[in-house]
Amino acid sequence: MFFRIMDKDRLPDLVAGLSKGFEVIGPVAKGERFVFERIETPEMLRLDYDTTLLPPKKLFFPPEEQMMRFRVADNEVVDDEVYAAPRVIFGLHPCDINALMLMDNVFLGEYEDPYYRARRESTMLIGVSCKPTDECFCNAWGTDEVHWGFDVFLTDLGDRYFISVRSVKGAELLDEFVATRDADESDTAAFQQHTRNFKNSFTDDLDTSQLPLLLDAKFDDPLWDRLGERCLSCGACSMVCPTCYCFDVTDRLEADGKTGTRVRTWDSCQFTQFAEVAHGQNFRESRASRVKYRYYHKQWGYLSKFERVLCVGCGRCARACLAGISPREVVTALEMGGAS
Amino acid sequence: MSPLSREFTANPYRPWPARITSIMDLTENEKLFEMRIIDDSVREAFQFASGQFVELSLFGVGEAPISISSAPSKQGFIELCVRNAGDVTGALHKKQCGDIVGLRGPFGRGFPFKEMKGHDMLLVAGGLGIAPLKSLINHIHDDRHDFGKVTILYGAKNPSEILFRYQFDMWKHRDDFELILTVDEPDDTWGDEVGRVTRLFDMIDIDPTNTYGAICGPPVMYRFVIDEMRKKGMDADKIYVSFERRMKCGIGKCGHCGVGHQYACIDGPVFNYWEAMNLQEAI
Repeated sequence: MFFRIMDKDRLPDLVAGLSKGFEVIGPVAKGERFVFERIETPEMLRLDYDTTLLPPKKLFFPPEEQMMRFRVADNEVVDDEVYAAPRVIFGLHPCDINALMLMDNVFLGEYEDPYYRARRESTMLIGVSCKPTDECFCNAWGTDEVHWGFDVFLTDLGDRYFISVRSVKGAELLDEFVATRDADESDTAAFQQHTRNFKNSFTDDLDTSQLPLLLDAKFDDPLWDRLGERCLSCGACSMVCPTCYCFDVTDRLEADGKTGTRVRTWDSCQFTQFAEVAHGQNFRESRASRVKYRYYHKQWGYLSKFERVLCVGCGRCARACLAGISPREVVTALEMGGAS
Repeated sequence: MSPLSREFTANPYRPWPARITSIMDLTENEKLFEMRIIDDSVREAFQFASGQFVELSLFGVGEAPISISSAPSKQGFIELCVRNAGDVTGALHKKQCGDIVGLRGPFGRGFPFKEMKGHDMLLVAGGLGIAPLKSLINHIHDDRHDFGKVTILYGAKNPSEILFRYQFDMWKHRDDFELILTVDEPDDTWGDEVGRVTRLFDMIDIDPTNTYGAICGPPVMYRFVIDEMRKKGMDADKIYVSFERRMKCGIGKCGHCGVGHQYACIDGPVFNYWEAMNLQEAI
């Protein structure tokens, strides 16, 4: 990997430069929180953000998207072209970059998803270092660090950014739009110190030992019933999750009934009908079984295929949950001996 | 906005247009549809295994996973045995011969036909579960010399719900298949067995060391049939079951068909019993 140094006051140059050739998207303030939105002027970009309401998955796998337009009479597809404009997402935290790589395993693996792929390929990623919030537990999964999956990554060293350059495109962008210099020994030392401080800023270390096995061993634990009693099945945890990828597909007819659009929308395993089949049999009728399934799939189902858990510890679900259920609480309860 | 060049050749969500070439009423609620994919090269490339399914796609209504009933040994068309049970299957039941529908697939893991070759077979179906099993039964029929003893147990609620009766009535007279039919509620015309399919296990004689089992039926049936097979001494990993789940995308993405830590659409829908035992909430 190559490393460059950029003075902080050069940041507007970079953002303005990028805006000439790309749609630039980054964290912007929305009330007291932040969202990923189009950056119209460099001042809008808030690299000091804590986290965003929705994760960047919405930019690759939108809450609602057209898959294809169709004609009813001969059951034929009229259009399934995927359009994707060249974009830069500026300011992703390590958790969200890691989350995209976990999504890649699903959407870019066997049976590649053309919609996700088109957006992924047309988008460059610029990461930025962060500070843990009270809800963050990325350190439990090692997703507080990111080593690939971005084009460039900026580590904030106070007056300057230590830039990790991962891709050719990333290197070209820097060369084209902003003045940088090579990193020297003192920069590398400062980077190391920053990393040490960052690691030490996590207040607790979540115990996740043998978690997949515990999920099986404690499959019938009363813990799940207690969580089921609290859960409202609202699905907010899935919507704000940077790694939840489940979706529903529906057909919408035009008024004339002759043509229409096949649309996919975000779905959640927490919704009552999620596992229901044609004759009305529902394989996960109880709330407890649905809450459990979400953890079971994330910490074991996905892991059984891709050797990683499907969680990056961003803490968004803990913030979003109206019942106050957090993965930290659930994992701790499992590790400590079930319902308490 | 510029269209991105697409290196991939196919959109796995895009159904292939297929023509309905035959419709047969099987019961009041079930019809057998024969379909042929219209594109010649796609139709010829369409290879499947018994136990695999397709997504039947009716634009304006939606998609439904349907297991293939015809045998892989018969090429150029597929048969789908469809119960009128929901929006998509209801709309299909209104279709006529010659109408065009959409098909995606074939998807999933089917029965391990090659592995089963050279052995005895015990096939147990309940109700609509005969639909995927008929593919395997007919495949075995077309490769009959590669198998030992073949026993088929098939149960339904009443005689009018016995599917493919025209075929099974003929087969009852063959000596290379042992076929036993049973219903819970017989009528005056019924001359076969009465009672649950598990009751038939007292009537059959199998060599447990050399027999593969295949079971398909309503979810409640599995545990009881597997118990009978285990009592006969069959190994857990030689008993195959096919699960019905909500396989919406068919390609391991939408998440609806999760069963334990697996997805029925790509890891199944056929699992052996050892695998199924290790899937939470499967049986």
